[in-house]
Amino acid sequence: MNEQPLSVGELTHAIKGLLEVGIGEVVVVGELSNYKHHSSGHRYFTLKDADAQIAGVLWRSRSIAFVPQDGMRIVVHGRLSVFAPQGKYQIDCAWMQPEGVGDLHKAFELLKEKLRARGYFDAARKRPLPRPIRRVGIATSPTGAVIRDMVTTIERRFPALEVILRPTVVQGGDTASRDIAQAIADLNACDVDVIIVGRGGGSMEDLWCFNTEIVADAILSSQTPVISAVGHETDVTIADFVADVRAATPTAAAELVTPVTASDLMQGIAALTERMRSDITLTITGLLQTATAFVDGRAARRLTERLHAKEQRIDDTTTRIARALTQNIAVRRMRIEHAAALLSSLHPLAPLQRGYAVLERNGQVLNAQSSLVPGDVVSIRRQFETATATVNNVDTIPTNTGEHYGTK
Amino acid sequence: MARSNTPPAATLEDQLKRLEEIATLLDRGEAPIDEQLRLFEEGMKLAGACREYLETAELSVRTLSGEQTQVD
Repeated sequence: MNEQPLSVGELTHAIKGLLEVGIGEVVVVGELSNYKHHSSGHRYFTLKDADAQIAGVLWRSRSIAFVPQDGMRIVVHGRLSVFAPQGKYQIDCAWMQPEGVGDLHKAFELLKEKLRARGYFDAARKRPLPRPIRRVGIATSPTGAVIRDMVTTIERRFPALEVILRPTVVQGGDTASRDIAQAIADLNACDVDVIIVGRGGGSMEDLWCFNTEIVADAILSSQTPVISAVGHETDVTIADFVADVRAATPTAAAELVTPVTASDLMQGIAALTERMRSDITLTITGLLQTATAFVDGRAARRLTERLHAKEQRIDDTTTRIARALTQNIAVRRMRIEHAAALLSSLHPLAPLQRGYAVLERNGQVLNAQSSLVPGDVVSIRRQFETATATVNNVDTIPTNTGEHYGTK
Repeated sequence: MARSNTPPAATLEDQLKRLEEIATLLDRGEAPIDEQLRLFEEGMKLAGACREYLETAELSVRTLSGEQTQVD
């Protein structure tokens, strides 16, 4: 103990050399505790077993393919490092994974049960997709088959839609998880009607970012309904349980947001147009009928009116003539008598007073030019009676004798 | 994008709703003929507009980085 005392710095430097060089790279298995994902992105934790514990750090730049949870048995790979300012040593991890694949499933089940107990999966809090959908937010990789399939499907079914793509890391562990959660928040700020979160199929590790509490929370707190479309039909993730609607595939999600296709609408419009056309045709036909009936009625009435007017004029004329007759009786006697005689001779029924008859056939008065044939049924009109007679025989009278009664 | 002179989908929805309404009114045939003819004309115009909109609509894909891009 005669040696010169070391400074703290010197000692720490020596320890650092022993640990970092002497031990260096390690692979350690242990139980995870005090896991903390700092807002800086770095993760701090303690690895322990029944006898001891050791601090660990996994820097932000290193991704992990699962959601670490206290109590899990994990394997880390890293280098021992000494943090001189605090006199601490820790494992600077390059990667971290659950011990055995079985633990991935266990982690999944653990988280699932935990979230179920908290009511994350309750059917009651799931929202139906809105109608109509005009704008769709999609959180997925900007390259690859998934976005292309979705865009193609939407374009084919209902191109009158707006798609807002939030390029998102959807591969791997917690880095992707945080990006997915942020994407959901970003799309919520974009006034979209529905959000699709998805990726194509892959291993459980590939899909692990959808099996995290942070994504579950983001979906739960999304103001906009969320459709999950992760992997294939057989891949089930925590995101699927929390999402308002689960689509078996990304293409199925694209179909869900285009429930009514453009061709559906076209057919609907055609049907409506046809309905309107037949309605208006029916209405117009009905109106035309009414109008025709109405016009007919009016025409008949007008004709009667015209007849009445004529009758009145005849009456007036008669009255005037009568007045003239009485007023000018002395002066115009001869002319009047002549006119009266002429008038009465022209009156078709005047001869009846003198015992003549008028013959009618089929309701038509027979004039001098008409001829009769045997068998004709005629009605004989006399002043006070009519009779019906059948013609037995017809003899033609020579025309030059016609004068006999013509000028009588 | 080719959408500048076309109505947004919300308007399409409104137009379709109005079209249904007009068809129902014409079905009933209770309105005066002038009104029915006006409705018929309006309906036909709406149907034409909707049809044209659907025929010419192009899917718009915008990426959140801001610029509009057409994904093939």
